Amino acid sequence: MIVYNASTNKMLVDEIVDTHVLVVGSGGAGIRAAIEASRYGDVVLVSKTIAGKGGCTTMAEGGYNAVLRDQDSIDVHREDTLAGGAYLNDPELVDILVHEAPERMDDLIRWGAVFDVTTECQVAQRPFGGQRFPRTCYAGDRTGHEIIMTLLERLDATDTHIYQEVTVIDLLTDENGAVAGVIALDRDGEVVLFRADATVLATGGGTQVYDISTNSAAGTGDGFAMAYRAGAELIDMEMVQFHPTGAVYPYDARGRLVTEAVRGEGGLLMNARRERFMRRYDPERMELSTRDVVARAIATEVLEGRGTARGGVYLDVTHLPAETIETRLPVMLEQFLAFGVDIRREPMEVAPTAHHIMGGLRITAECRTTLPGLFACGEVAGGVHGANRLGGNALAETQVFGKRAGEFAGMSAARSGRIDEARVHDIFKMLDGFYDGVVKPADVRKDLKLTMWNQAGIFRNAADLRTALMQVRRLSDRRLYAASSDNLAECCIVRNMCTTASLIIRCAMLRPESRGAHMRLDAEVATEPAKSPFGHTYISLTRDGIERREVAA
Amino acid sequence: MKKIRIKVSRFNPAVDAEPHLEEYTVEVNEGARVLHALHAVHDDHDPTLAYRYCCGAGQCGTCAVRVNGEPVLACMEEARDGMTVEPLVLPVLKDLVIDMEPVIAKIARICPRPDAELPPKEVIEEIKPLRDCIECLCCVSACPALLVTEFAGPTVLRQEMRLALDPRDSGDRITDAIKKGLFYCTTCKRCVEVCPKDIDTPGKAIEKLRELANRRGLTLPRHQEVARLVQETGRSVERTKVTFLEQVPEVIEPDGPVRGEVGFFVGCMFNGRVPQTALDAMEVMKRNGIRVIIPHEQVCCGSPLIRTGQTSFVDDLKERNIEAFTSRGIKTVMTICAGCGATLKNDYETPFVVKDVTEVLTDYGIEPPARLDIRATYHDPCHLLRGQGIREQPRELLRQTVREFVEMPAQCCGAGGGVRSGVPEEAMALGAMRGEAVRATGADVVVTVCPFCEFHIADCTDVPVKNLTTILLEGYRKKDAEQEPSG
Repeated sequence: MIVYNASTNKMLVDEIVDTHVLVVGSGGAGIRAAIEASRYGDVVLVSKTIAGKGGCTTMAEGGYNAVLRDQDSIDVHREDTLAGGAYLNDPELVDILVHEAPERMDDLIRWGAVFDVTTECQVAQRPFGGQRFPRTCYAGDRTGHEIIMTLLERLDATDTHIYQEVTVIDLLTDENGAVAGVIALDRDGEVVLFRADATVLATGGGTQVYDISTNSAAGTGDGFAMAYRAGAELIDMEMVQFHPTGAVYPYDARGRLVTEAVRGEGGLLMNARRERFMRRYDPERMELSTRDVVARAIATEVLEGRGTARGGVYLDVTHLPAETIETRLPVMLEQFLAFGVDIRREPMEVAPTAHHIMGGLRITAECRTTLPGLFACGEVAGGVHGANRLGGNALAETQVFGKRAGEFAGMSAARSGRIDEARVHDIFKMLDGFYDGVVKPADVRKDLKLTMWNQAGIFRNAADLRTALMQVRRLSDRRLYAASSDNLAECCIVRNMCTTASLIIRCAMLRPESRGAHMRLDAEVATEPAKSPFGHTYISLTRDGIERREVAA
Repeated sequence: MKKIRIKVSRFNPAVDAEPHLEEYTVEVNEGARVLHALHAVHDDHDPTLAYRYCCGAGQCGTCAVRVNGEPVLACMEEARDGMTVEPLVLPVLKDLVIDMEPVIAKIARICPRPDAELPPKEVIEEIKPLRDCIECLCCVSACPALLVTEFAGPTVLRQEMRLALDPRDSGDRITDAIKKGLFYCTTCKRCVEVCPKDIDTPGKAIEKLRELANRRGLTLPRHQEVARLVQETGRSVERTKVTFLEQVPEVIEPDGPVRGEVGFFVGCMFNGRVPQTALDAMEVMKRNGIRVIIPHEQVCCGSPLIRTGQTSFVDDLKERNIEAFTSRGIKTVMTICAGCGATLKNDYETPFVVKDVTEVLTDYGIEPPARLDIRATYHDPCHLLRGQGIREQPRELLRQTVREFVEMPAQCCGAGGGVRSGVPEEAMALGAMRGEAVRATGADVVVTVCPFCEFHIADCTDVPVKNLTTILLEGYRKKDAEQEPSG
């Protein structure tokens, strides 16, 4: 293994770490994977942030879907998930999700999670959009935080070695194309190389590529981009969920998530004329329709001039008892108070915000990607949610598939290949190049986010998508500048954002229909989702396209 | 967009011996938070600025910094012109980035029993207020006990109580909590003040853990002595001289017309240790037309027992005290001890209103005293400032009574929470810091409204320490002397 450059006699790699299983990412899926994998051998978890603080799990507010009551059924959860996903979901993955979500909930409870409970000592559940039974388990409106704290405690009981604030910048493959490790930068920009028998990618989502996003600053799509560069195949990357309710004020807090639990607890959506406009879009389910429908309804109200001066609509809970708001929605109450709005007395203003990427790495039931040695779980994986995710299914996904990824990665055989040294050299060349760059990463990021929001957002058409792709390609070609070694990771991340953005646009161009979250204004024919002739879009270094499927007439 | 000027602490350990402040003028949007001002520094001025952030929504606890000295979440605190942004008071890795890991490593993790099951609703509800912690470490940065002891930090003790409440946990949390410094907390509530989630660690964790420790016989011997004394005598201090209650009638009528009426809760310190101060307070009330009713059967409020977790007979004390005032139809009870006041307000459910003497005097308005020719500073008693939210009233009174009033940054004196008796070396170390702060003000006298603070600070400085009512009385005496015909 090369650790120094013979021509300059300079150390290239400051540290090499060998492990059986390497987990990249410290959100709900990554930590769950590490916990499971630790039963099989050495585990290293690499986290771009302080472990547990960076992912979107800790920000998830509303809940975790699991069938826990006799009146509910696995079949109904499956059917809700498929219908919500516009039948683009991988049915096998959905089966696994709905069957195993209750078991993984049991794990969390055994490990000390403090979910709300009923007086009958059952985990409490609330209604969420697109579901026929209130099956969303919660801990107030800090459900994800509760899960992360529980998982961190459990992780602490394993021998997992955590690398905090170490940013993985690329996957490394061996001569057979199998993933054999990763290359990363520590806090000071020093290079660390990890070699592993199996690598679990749990890097989460990437809606930070949009100007308005609920994601944590860490949600930059690194996993999609790194896996794509390493040769993995991704599916349905055009499927970006716009959460209907993001904050609109103040400007810098725009997009901040206003949990679906607000509507679950009875919150009403009204336009500037104080009309409950959901009557026109989904009179049966109203506010608790699926997210794609509600987001488009809000966007339409605003576009057609019925929005507020700040470009949103009202979300009102003032009719609920103050105590309900204080106990069920304390985070919402606190956040809005910080911005001068008392939601017990006045309505919130909300508008859609980029929230979740349903697409991602193509995985099997064992969380294997198309690359040997690489597993994926959580938001970076695709297929579970189809064209639209139900609220509450993402937290369940992190646990169900996190456990599976950890388990099957743990059972992997020892690696035999050697890491491709030429690739490592290329990465060093790229890093060195950043010192000679000319453009601030912050400028590229800003431009990219606006491009994605304006041309590849809620409503799409071919012309806009083409414009967006051209612009993203231009941005990808800009020579990013690193002022010091501390800034290398930032350059790599902006590069990943550009890649992820282009994957979204290219897949959006591949799907000619409107389906779930993907709304093509120029779609020629409207089909019923269940009868759509199209399957997944797919994209990799070597091929891209859209699957066709047989549908019963 | 608007322009603001901010100062940011910069420190690169590879180059700098110590941190220094850099000033930047940045453009931010209306309503921007501190975090966005830092982004502006990073994006437009210096990309090497090191600072942490993640969720941007107050939920991950990554971005805590000090703004003008106060720990806050950068993503939630509004950016203001002229602000100074510094790292938390923890080892700095670079600029605003502190080393969080050693503290986080001290936070205990649950050890689930093999047969762990979902706890019942009432247990869950009890745990929840302790579960909101996002481990931002604001409390650790602000806690005074950490400055002078090996105290592990408020959130670390919070977690011990969270685990102690959970039937799924198999750990010995009381032993752990004691090792982590359970008895070091002065219950000053500074941690509550800075907590973005308003977690009441002293009330809901520290005092409760001390209660659990008490049930296992692990209360500090000095604290046990106090409890024995209260049980035997109804008072937390021994009778060494004629007490206040032995010197006063049940009703003290004012000199002039009656403008108001209060019941008076004297408290053990003023009754037994410094009765003269309480007598001074009575003179001030007389002078200002306020009738004072003093039930003689009142006893210790229970504060020294609640703070140290010895609560077995506190309910009896509460009943006796409440009965003493309600049986006389008293609507307002006045305290002159910050600790008693905070206890009556926060730990009792009283059918009457409780007011600190400074509230009573500012509510009614006082006869202006003559100004004393002194430079005075004021020490905020924790149980007045944070326990009762009283900041302005004592200052307002003091400004009327002295030539010059100088501020002193608020910090716990170290006497509270049973620390002066239980961990005297900690109390002395914190007291010494107060002594330094007093010296820095150049004041002739330190004024306060709490007998514990008064006693303790007096031990730690050469500058005289006086109760505010004594200062007021001195002002009246001076006024009278000036008005007497000379010769």
